[in-house]
Amino acid sequence: MSVDALRPSGNGGPYSADSRLGAHAPTTQRVGRSLPFSDERHLQAHHWLVEEAYVLDAQHYEEWLVLLAEDIHYIMPVRVTTATNAGYDSAPKMAHFDENKYSLSRRVARFMTEHAWTEDPPSRLRHHVTNVRTFASEKPDEIVVDSAVLLYRSRGDVREAAVLSAGREDLLRRTPDGTDWRLARRTILVDDSVLRTQNLAIFL
Amino acid sequence: MADQDLVLADVRRGMIPAHIYNDEEIFRLERERLFNRAWVFVGHESEIPQAGDYVVRRVLEDSFIVSRGEDGQVRAMFNMCLHRGMQVCRVEMGNASHFRCPYHGWSYRNDGRIVGLPFHQDAYGGEAGFRRKGQRLLPVPALDTYNGLIFVSLDPAVVPLRDYLGDFTFFLDYYTKQSPSGIELRGPQRWRIKANWKIGAENFAGDMYHTPQTHTSVVEIGLFREPKAEKRKDGCTYWAGNGGGTTYKLPPGSLEEKLRYVGYPDVMIEKMKAMWSPEQLDVIGRDGFMISAASVFPNLSFVHNWPRVEDSEDVLPFTSIRTWQPVGPDETEVLSWFAVDAEAPEEFKALSYKAYLMCFGSTGMFEQDDVENWVSLTSTAAGTMARRLLLNGRMGVLEDGTEVSPVLTPDQFAGPGEARVGYGEYNQRHLLNRWADYLERPVSSSAQVEVSGAARDAEAGSVNGSDARVVRS
Repeated sequence: MSVDALRPSGNGGPYSADSRLGAHAPTTQRVGRSLPFSDERHLQAHHWLVEEAYVLDAQHYEEWLVLLAEDIHYIMPVRVTTATNAGYDSAPKMAHFDENKYSLSRRVARFMTEHAWTEDPPSRLRHHVTNVRTFASEKPDEIVVDSAVLLYRSRGDVREAAVLSAGREDLLRRTPDGTDWRLARRTILVDDSVLRTQNLAIFL
Repeated sequence: MADQDLVLADVRRGMIPAHIYNDEEIFRLERERLFNRAWVFVGHESEIPQAGDYVVRRVLEDSFIVSRGEDGQVRAMFNMCLHRGMQVCRVEMGNASHFRCPYHGWSYRNDGRIVGLPFHQDAYGGEAGFRRKGQRLLPVPALDTYNGLIFVSLDPAVVPLRDYLGDFTFFLDYYTKQSPSGIELRGPQRWRIKANWKIGAENFAGDMYHTPQTHTSVVEIGLFREPKAEKRKDGCTYWAGNGGGTTYKLPPGSLEEKLRYVGYPDVMIEKMKAMWSPEQLDVIGRDGFMISAASVFPNLSFVHNWPRVEDSEDVLPFTSIRTWQPVGPDETEVLSWFAVDAEAPEEFKALSYKAYLMCFGSTGMFEQDDVENWVSLTSTAAGTMARRLLLNGRMGVLEDGTEVSPVLTPDQFAGPGEARVGYGEYNQRHLLNRWADYLERPVSSSAQVEVSGAARDAEAGSVNGSDARVVRS
């Protein structure tokens, strides 16, 4: 059996841990098989992702920031085409997003100005979230969630819409009062090596 | 050609027919007369540091394997099997001693030499039918480097790279030679924008005028303190050799204080002082100008800015290198690398990378607003009305030809070429004039290369070498 076959499938990978900007990031990993879809934690995680998708569609980004943990690492590697046995599938030490809460808050602050032309007029966005599965971790208050996201982004009335397909691995952490979850780590594995959108003035 | 002659004449007087930013016929000329001849940037030696390392890069449609051979030499080989034309390398990067064509199994060393040809004796009758010895993947007609930047040209008669770059190398050193080790590149991020390639090249070459308007938001959020209108026009634009760029005017102070102002640590400043010429240091220390964006004709650009990357007053400088790779008249693939001095402290490298991500590239907050404008411009340039409209690209020069701002004297600007303080479209005109130079000059037909094979009748008897021969058609 090859090494690849022994490695668990999913959207995680070494990206967050390998990033020069990931030193602050939580390192919690998934444990075991995915939880049954009837598991309360899975139901909550799925619910959380759907609610987040609506927030992102509406570009209610200040609301979105509240959903993020203070120690979040939000990373979207640059994918590259490599040979099957190359052992890597992303550009070494490079990403599209490699963010902490401060840099994400600057991006959000920019959208809140009246001069972020790239989204004024705004795109029509639809985050289609599917293939959700949830894993327990070594920490009782943290769960790992895989999902697939397809973003449809339509701008103006002249050009064709842009589509971005990605897999995500999220680390969700229960809030201290136990009633909600915060996003503590997100890895976004975009499925293009050459993006077909004019920029990433969006979040996935 | 008469129509095109008129277009080029208009461009030369600074009046730009808007359709040149989205025109099939112009693009055909650019492919044939410009990108077929000019030096085009394809990568940096730091991307392929070890023997066998390679990246695959394009010049328009032409795919090249840019590799480092076992002998340490960097080569660029046309990524096409000599037999049936299959791509012999279908990935973007890696390390390999050989490339094997998946179609019929011909294989080549990483220096291009053919080493495997299945059933050579049975199928071809051995060397008498196909002279395998000495055959290699078609090398790019010309390749040269400057500070590790790898350029190729499809014109075997192209002028030497140093001559082509000319005095712009003075400015290239700021971006690419801050220590004896030079830069290392990360990336590139790649994405396609529905914009003509010339717009980005022109913008980076000299458009200080757009900064206060397009990039208002990044000042408002405290990311970058410089682009306020009154500050931007205190900088100068310069053109030297085959490129030009923009600068910011720094606050008064010593050379060291100015370099610290943009965020360089003393350990890097000391190396810059040892690397750069007195004139290169004077542009910063004496004259008070710090390089920002720049372009080398035709489609290579640089940017160097110094944003805040954390919630403090400290700023961090970053360098980005990018190409505007034409895909079609209305589409460009951007390849955007982060570059950093190889000897910089690790902490600096990490924060400089963060500064890059926040400002430029696929997610950069400067770049996002630029591209929105360029895409809009390109789609508007497609129609017939755009053929009637001549855009005024004459900023900085009066109707009678008088220039609004004088060229800085050697006492004011220690660099080569011509530099002027304030807004102006001098550099965009330089760029488009070179563009016109290439487009008005017809190409002679290219040399063809035959792979072994039989002689043409007219040349019978003259072909008996074992190498691929070059045929003038």
